Amino acid sequence: MKIIFVKKILADGSACAKCADVIEKLEKSGQMARIDETLIADERDPESPGMRMAKLHQVDRAPFFVVENAGREPQIYTVYLKFVKEVLEQKTDQNEELKEILRNNSDLDFL
Amino acid sequence: MNKLDILDLDAHLQTQTPQQILSFALKEFDNIALSFSGAEDVVLVDMATRIRPDVGVFCLDTGRLHSETYRFIDQVRQHYEVKIDILFPDSEAVRKLTSEKGLFSFYKDNHQECCAIRKIGPLQKKLLTLDAWVTGQRRDQSPGTRGNIPIIQNDKTFARSGETLTKFNPLANWTLQQVWNYIRAYEVPYNPLHDRGFISIGCEPCTRPVGPGQHEREGRWWWEEATKKECGLHAENIKEP
Repeated sequence: MKIIFVKKILADGSACAKCADVIEKLEKSGQMARIDETLIADERDPESPGMRMAKLHQVDRAPFFVVENAGREPQIYTVYLKFVKEVLEQKTDQNEELKEILRNNSDLDFL
Repeated sequence: MNKLDILDLDAHLQTQTPQQILSFALKEFDNIALSFSGAEDVVLVDMATRIRPDVGVFCLDTGRLHSETYRFIDQVRQHYEVKIDILFPDSEAVRKLTSEKGLFSFYKDNHQECCAIRKIGPLQKKLLTLDAWVTGQRRDQSPGTRGNIPIIQNDKTFARSGETLTKFNPLANWTLQQVWNYIRAYEVPYNPLHDRGFISIGCEPCTRPVGPGQHEREGRWWWEEATKKECGLHAENIKEP
């Protein structure tokens, strides 16, 4: 299994706060070592590796994770806590996952 | 359906009517259901039941809807003779929220914690049982958060681990006016709150009527300052050349 983490640099050159938060959580939990590769999605450069990865997998947000397993379609995770639960097999707080889903998909609150 | 299929299909479906999109979705998937909010998205129920009378429909009952909305949901159930799966939030999560923060914490914090428990939790549970779902989301509902919604997409957020979930938004290209033209033309039953100035209808404490010229978004969570979404990747940069 290969895990790729894609983090973002905003159009004004600043770092993405959510990405920094995810990195901090990965480091605190000692799971950063599970990440095989980190790509930068630089909004100023559509050809940056992270932007190309986002285009390839039709992802419209960052950060996100790509999990590659031989012979299988890559799995994309845009919800950090879902990734932690399903791939890193860590216990997560369900309500925190739900809040993260809503924060990342603000269109859902209209349902 | 792989990624390329979805891209091609979306380009094709962009040119289709909501009815054609629904026909495609219902033909392609057996295990599919419509999300119905008890508001003007009733047009989807009307369209879908003409194609497949026993189509699955589900509602998110947050426990805080207007009584008019509950009555309307039941009216739709009877009118279309359709089974509506009423989804409830996790009672323990609601108990914890309300006992710790009261019944109106969203006015002090924001609506996300409450919506996460009352809407997203049950939605997630339901979607884990489906292969595809249909929403009434439209681009004109909120240019800030819905400006780019496609007709068909791989729903990576709610898909079962290692599997795919397909999401259809047949009304994405329709305007509110087109929705109401359909409701009037086909004499579709509608929520009586619409006659009292409500455009977008959600939970009772978080919904209010709007005045002439106001956007429907102004009738929802009006006490919160609209904030710029940061997690999106700038659309221009990931658009196909």
